[in-house]
Amino acid sequence: MPHKLDKIFYFLTFLISIIPIFLVVMLFSFLLYYSIPSIKYNGLKFFTSYYWYPGQVYLPPVNINGILVPYGSSFGILLFLYGTLITSLIALIIAFPISIVVSLAVNLYVNEKFKKLIISLIELFAAIPSVLYGLWGIVYLEPLLSNFIEPAMNKYLGFMPFFSGNIYSGAGILASSIILCLMILPIMTSVINGSILNFSTSIKEGAIALGATRYEMARLIILRGIKIQIFGAAMLGLGRALGETMAVLMVSGSVFNIMPSNIYSPINTMAAALASLLDSAFMDSTGMNLYALSELGLTLMLITLAASLIGRFIVGLGIIRGFTRGEEI
Amino acid sequence: MNIRVIKDFSFKLLGYFLILFIIAILVAITGSIIINGLHSITLKMLIENGDTTSGGIFNAIVGTWMLVGVGILFSVPIGIFSAIFIVEYGWKRYNSIVRVFTDVLTSTPSIVLGLFGYLFLVIQLGFGYSLLAGGITLGIMMLPYILRVTEISLTEVPTNIKEAAISLGAKKMDLIFRIMLPYAKNGIITSTILAISIGAGETAQLLYTAGWNNGIPNSLIKSQVAYLTYVVWAGINQPSNYSHQLAFASGLILIITVFSLIFISKYIKR
Repeated sequence: MPHKLDKIFYFLTFLISIIPIFLVVMLFSFLLYYSIPSIKYNGLKFFTSYYWYPGQVYLPPVNINGILVPYGSSFGILLFLYGTLITSLIALIIAFPISIVVSLAVNLYVNEKFKKLIISLIELFAAIPSVLYGLWGIVYLEPLLSNFIEPAMNKYLGFMPFFSGNIYSGAGILASSIILCLMILPIMTSVINGSILNFSTSIKEGAIALGATRYEMARLIILRGIKIQIFGAAMLGLGRALGETMAVLMVSGSVFNIMPSNIYSPINTMAAALASLLDSAFMDSTGMNLYALSELGLTLMLITLAASLIGRFIVGLGIIRGFTRGEEI
Repeated sequence: MNIRVIKDFSFKLLGYFLILFIIAILVAITGSIIINGLHSITLKMLIENGDTTSGGIFNAIVGTWMLVGVGILFSVPIGIFSAIFIVEYGWKRYNSIVRVFTDVLTSTPSIVLGLFGYLFLVIQLGFGYSLLAGGITLGIMMLPYILRVTEISLTEVPTNIKEAAISLGAKKMDLIFRIMLPYAKNGIITSTILAISIGAGETAQLLYTAGWNNGIPNSLIKSQVAYLTYVVWAGINQPSNYSHQLAFASGLILIITVFSLIFISKYIKR
C-alpha cells in the first residue's frame, strides 16, 4: 500500500475527530446567538422575576425600549431555577446515603455471585427510558403520595414549615424528587462501588486483622479513603438530575407563576419548562419567546455542565469503570 | 453481645433492607409497565398506524427504528474514526481536548440538545421536523458513548500483536483495519447496541426535531416522524382510556426492546 494513502487516512481521521469539538462549539454559539436579544432585553430581571408569560402573540407586538416584544410578555426564570435546584437537591439528599450504604453493604456482606446480580439490577434502573419513569409516576406514585405518604408526612413532620400546609394532586416537588432519586441512584452506586473495589485490599485486610468489625472497617477506613470519589459521584448524580426533562415534566405538575409553598406543591423545572414552552414560542412573530427560551437553555446547560464536569474530573476519566446507562465512564 | 458487634449487625440489616427495597421498586416499576402493557396491547395496534388517540402504533415503531438508524449511521463512523485518530495518531493535549468536549456532549441535558437540533438542523439547515433532524440529534447524543468505548477497546489491543504486525511490514492502515479493528470488534458492537437502546428511549431531543406523523415518513427531510416515546407521553396525558392503553402498549415495547438490547450486549461482552 502506498505511503500516500496512509497520509490521506491520517488527515481524514483527524478531520473526523474534530467533529465532536465542532458540535460543542456550534451548540454554544447557537444558544448564545439566540440568547443575545433576550439578555439585552431582560437583563438581570431574567433571574430575579418568577413571572413567565409568553404574551398575547396574536395581538400586534409592543415596542419596549426599541425592542419589539409580544404584548404583556414577561420572562423570569426564578421559579424554574428554584424548581430545578430544589428537586435535584432533595433527590441527592435521598440518594446519597442510600447509594453509600448499598454499595458498602454489597461489598462487605454479600457474596461475589449475588453482588454482581445486585449491581447489574441497580444499573438496569439507568436503562429505563425516562418517559417510563414519568408514566409510572403519573399512574402509581402520584396517587400513592397524595393519598398516603403526603398526609402522613404532613401529620408527623408538619411542625417544620416546609412540610406543612396544603396537599395537592401528588404531582410536585416530592414526586419529582423521588423519581429523580431513582434515576441518579445507579450512577452514584456504580461510581462508589467502583471506588470501593479499587480501594487497596491490603489496607482493608489490615483493618480486619487488627480486630475491626466490617462496619468499623467501612466507616473508619473505606469511607475516609474514598471521600473525594463520593463527592464526585454526588456531583455526577446532581448533573444528571439537573438536566432531566421528561420524567420531571410528567410528574412536576408544570405550574407557572406560583411559587411553591411546601414540599407537596406543584413545581416546574428549567428543563421541563423549556420542553413545554418551546411549542408556543414558535407562534411569536417577534422571536422574543424563542430568544428567552434559548437563554433558559443556556443557563440550564451551564449549571448542569458545572456539576457534571466537576464530577467527571474528580472521579477521574476512565480510571473507574462505572457503568451507567450502558456508558463506561 | 458486644456493642461493636451489634453496630456491625445493624448496619448489615440496614444494608440488606435498602438493597431489597431498591430492587422491589425496580420490580414494581418494570412490573407495572409490563403488566399494564400486556393488558393493553392488541395485535391490531401493532399493525395499524395511529395518532396517539386512535389506531395503532405501527408508525411509531417504524419511526423509532428509522430515527435510531439515522442516529447510528451518523454516530458510529464518526465515533470509530475519531477513536482511531485518538489512539493511533493523537498527541496527549489534543486527546484531552477531544475528551473534555465529548464529556460536555454527554453532560448536555437532552432538551438542550433538542433545542440545538431545532435551531441548527430544523431552522438553519432547513431540514424541518424530519428523520434527518431527529436522527442526527439522537446521533449527537450517541456519539460520546461510541467514541469512548471504541477508544477503550482499541487501547486494549496488546502491544506485542501490534509490534508483530509492524515487524512483518504492515503499514499503518493494515495495522488499523486488519489487526486493531477486528480485535476491538466486540467493544464496538456492544457500544452500538447500547447506543441503540439509549436512542430508542429518548424523547426530549425528538420533541422539536422529529415532530409527529400519522403515517410513515416519505423523505429524509421535511417529513415528520412518529416515535414510541411520544406515544407514551402524549397518550397518558389524554383523558381517553384508549390513549392510555396505547401509552402502556408503547411502554411495554420500549421496555422489552431496551432490556433485550442490554442483555444481548452483556452476552456479547462475555
